[in-house]
Amino acid sequence: MTDTTSPITLSHAEAAAPIAPGRTPWKHEAIGFVLGFALLALLPLIFGDTYARHILIMAFIYAIVASNWDLSLGYGGVFNFGHLALFGIGVYAYSLLTKLAAFDPWVALFASGVIATLAAILVTIPILRLKGIYIILVTFGFAQLVMQVIISQSAITGGTQGLVRIPGLYVFDHNMVRDGKSAYFYIALALLVASTLFLRVFVRSRAGASIVALRDNEEYAISRGVSIVRQRMLTLAASAFFTGIAGAFYAAYQRNASIDVFGMSLATIILSMVLLGGTSTIYGAIIASFVLTIFAEWMADFGAWRPMITAVLIIGVMLAYPSGLVGMIKASWGAVAGRIKRPG
Amino acid sequence: MALLELDDVSKAFGSLKAVDGVSFKVEAGEIFGIAGPNGSGKSTLFNIITGIPFGPDRGQIRFDGIAINGKSGHAIARLGLARTFQRETSFDGLTVFENALIGASYGKQEKTAATARNAAAEALEFVGLGSQSFGRLAGELSVFERKCLMLATAVAMQPRMLLLDEPASSLTKPEIETSIGLIRRTAERGITILLIEHVLTFLMSLSQHLLVLNNGRVLAAGDPAGVIADPRVIEAYLGTRRSAA
Repeated sequence: MTDTTSPITLSHAEAAAPIAPGRTPWKHEAIGFVLGFALLALLPLIFGDTYARHILIMAFIYAIVASNWDLSLGYGGVFNFGHLALFGIGVYAYSLLTKLAAFDPWVALFASGVIATLAAILVTIPILRLKGIYIILVTFGFAQLVMQVIISQSAITGGTQGLVRIPGLYVFDHNMVRDGKSAYFYIALALLVASTLFLRVFVRSRAGASIVALRDNEEYAISRGVSIVRQRMLTLAASAFFTGIAGAFYAAYQRNASIDVFGMSLATIILSMVLLGGTSTIYGAIIASFVLTIFAEWMADFGAWRPMITAVLIIGVMLAYPSGLVGMIKASWGAVAGRIKRPG
Repeated sequence: MALLELDDVSKAFGSLKAVDGVSFKVEAGEIFGIAGPNGSGKSTLFNIITGIPFGPDRGQIRFDGIAINGKSGHAIARLGLARTFQRETSFDGLTVFENALIGASYGKQEKTAATARNAAAEALEFVGLGSQSFGRLAGELSVFERKCLMLATAVAMQPRMLLLDEPASSLTKPEIETSIGLIRRTAERGITILLIEHVLTFLMSLSQHLLVLNNGRVLAAGDPAGVIADPRVIEAYLGTRRSAA
């Protein structure tokens, strides 16, 4: 019994290893983060017309929804097909709070995030003991249920007609209508920055590692003390907050709400953003949101061909790079870096 | 008081009694071996002790005096009862360091980030995965490295007791030798060990107590040399003279 507890002194292991060995150091990521978003903040200087700015605002909204979906689907491995319902809940929570309860728009925006989070916690309960396709069934059913409730309560929600004249956001006395959409542009960008910061801090935390552990091997994770109930709720709740806020912002920006947000077409678009970007990266979903939104605009002249061309291109990228756009970027970066390093 | 105590524990799958009225005690600080032919109920026994994925149908399991049958798997783990799995298992999407960090963070009560990181690093160094391998993805490791990592994630939990499910399976001879040393040193850290193996020599070299399961029941238990000499044990492993002929 010599040398029993002799812990190899931690200082030595600590000194040898960076904070998160094998991961991009915080500093590098922070630099990329600031540069990337600073670039986005400069876009209104190039795109002066309101239509181009509108496309960018939509891309920001989609990016928030898609990257938050990547948290539950990519990192957590939870097939939450009710993710767009959380967005829809944000849309309607904001609309009803501002229109009927006369909430201040900013308070309503925040409250919509909270309400979406509570809804996510609620939907976690029936899926705790389920796996794979059964989670899809229940969460899909949840989305349908939310939509049916909204349709049936038409006296309050406007039913299939939707709601119009929803109060927009304000910034002091700034005129939100005649500023070429720049206020909405920067609010959308600020929400995307906040959401992305939140998601990246979360996935790099111990809680973030624990939800990946549950995804990779549920029984093994449980045997290491990870509570599946607690972490599943945390996963869905964390992915819901900014999704709900994005829904609220969408309602404030469009000034109307309709049940179209619960439709399959929007869900399909956002899902293809998550998958095209490359799951479990957060950034991939954001990049893919920009690419797909802007691409769809370029292709506007092709009419009915547009979705087909988009679909073929998505399939092409995914076949060549199964890890999506992020994989494509990494591969081309590797090729460039290799060429630079290669002597002669 | 024994650290782990099983009293008349049973688990059935339909008409198959996988574990049938098993009772035994493991004292703190010992290495306790469980042997038995394939399908004798060894792994099921581990599953019902740890509650992963299910507890027993009947009987009492007490860990450190606390009844744990009916508790959820993660709650049992947090009491200080860790286990490994027969197949090399890892969180493939996480790095080696993050794998150990999971055990360190969620194993026993809440730990601060710094304490958990120290425990993870120490556990990895202990099993021989040095800091140069911390950043590798667990999915890229060899079978033996994964087995070591699985032990490290358990050690990082700082458990009172560790259940090892066939640690020697699919390993080469030199790797088995290394494993034996590693298990001894794990026990020397003050972790009580319950060990399943069907390779008897492996068990004999480590265990202070040996129990043999057959068809879900305890066939023999006690001092390893005595148990091995028991004619019923020889029969279970080799068959009777007549049926062998």
